Amino acid sequence: MTALLANPLVQLVIALLALLGFVGLNGLVLVWMERKVVGFIQRRPGPFEVGPHGLLQPLADALKLIGKQLVTPRGADRPLFWLAPILSVMPVPLCFLPIPFSPLLTGMELNVGVVLILAFSGLNVLALCLAGWGSNNKYSLLGAARAVSQSVAYEIPLLLTVLCIAFQSGSLNLNVIAGHQSGILHWNLWVQPLAFVMFFIAATAETNRAPFDLPEAESELTAGHHTEYSGMGFGLFMLAEYMYMIIICGMAAVLFMGGWDGPVAPGWWWMVIKIYAMLAAMMWFRWTFPRVRFDQLLNVCWKWLIPLGLANLLATALIMKLVG
Amino acid sequence: MDADLQQMLALPAYGLYLLIILAGGIMAVGSASLVRALLGLILTLFGVAGMYLLMAAPFLAFMQILIYVGAVSVLIFFAIMLTKGPDGEAGGEEPPKVGGRLVLAGLTGLVPAAILAGAVARFAPQAVPLKPETSLFKLGEFLAGPYVLAFELISVVLFAAMAGAVLLGFERRKGK
Repeated sequence: MTALLANPLVQLVIALLALLGFVGLNGLVLVWMERKVVGFIQRRPGPFEVGPHGLLQPLADALKLIGKQLVTPRGADRPLFWLAPILSVMPVPLCFLPIPFSPLLTGMELNVGVVLILAFSGLNVLALCLAGWGSNNKYSLLGAARAVSQSVAYEIPLLLTVLCIAFQSGSLNLNVIAGHQSGILHWNLWVQPLAFVMFFIAATAETNRAPFDLPEAESELTAGHHTEYSGMGFGLFMLAEYMYMIIICGMAAVLFMGGWDGPVAPGWWWMVIKIYAMLAAMMWFRWTFPRVRFDQLLNVCWKWLIPLGLANLLATALIMKLVG
Repeated sequence: MDADLQQMLALPAYGLYLLIILAGGIMAVGSASLVRALLGLILTLFGVAGMYLLMAAPFLAFMQILIYVGAVSVLIFFAIMLTKGPDGEAGGEEPPKVGGRLVLAGLTGLVPAAILAGAVARFAPQAVPLKPETSLFKLGEFLAGPYVLAFELISVVLFAAMAGAVLLGFERRKGK
């Protein structure tokens, strides 16, 4: 039994299965949490009827989505149309693999873990493009066009801030980066506050969350790229959006807040607490700020975030050369 | 991973990546819709990333996916959306002007393949065992050391391309 468990392939399969469970469970929790947060901000109870405090509501939602008929619109490119939601969700377990919940609870320790996450989370844009293209719907196509220009622009500040942290810790291995920051005073957050703020803004934009949710802006584009999707087609897109939020918050927790490290009793629970605190902040943004205009969105990126990110990177390199 | 497992998995993985690359290539050439052709290109790029992984260069593999799949292909997609055929529909292929399209395509594909196959068959190098992963530090040292000229030349080319793009953008705006 222990010999079997020592096999790396078996470990990988176990990690992937555990992560799939984690994905499903967190999807349900996040749907509930989002609706409760909206309710709280708008001074109403939110879902309350199904189960205690509406806890079983997401389960009912999921059953409803699964039970719905899958409709392909007329004139749609059928294979591309159905490939899109699958392609959106497929990289998710892979992106979770290198995230260390604790030194032991890591799916797979990789020397280039950060690059793996950034590479495979980029596939989501492709999925949105295919969805927009395959739907044969002008709203979808407009949504896809917006998704492309937005995510290509915001990927740059995201990479620049990640590079700052990589310079500082001299590694792209998430376990090593987290290991460098033991003790709350050694968190990168205190050394690189500007990078953290930029990372968080870019992350909100990359995950298409409000106030940057222009690809699906419902008041202008119906539902943007997933206008034509019914049932689990839509469900998969939503699941993918929530999962990329968790992935990017997990990355932020590891890069800037020491990962599993905490004031007392370090362990995976601190990772979960940090991730959920950042998710709550993202939901808080969504219901606080109005949606930005598209030119504002791109101006913020090209005129502020990218120059600031480059300056921050140069400053980091200089200080690392002088001190380290 | 231990060496036995690597040896065992290397050959099937090689076959799989080869299949992915070829299937992507055929899809890119054969499909009438430009978006599907792009999908074929992306499939090929994925296969090549897999080949990098086999050569124990995971950094290159992930960079390939990050840059080519995540950025370049998406920009090509954007360009396709800006095109428009005579029927007002974007992303359609022109109908072939000369007959024997398959013959021409087969000729242009098979002749280089035959020449390459002949070269490989004559001067085939010995198979080398899988090398351990090269660390990023070593990669960086090589880029900033012996290969610094090539590296800088590439950055100059990129800079020229970027400056040119900005210039073109400004000129068009002036014309309005």
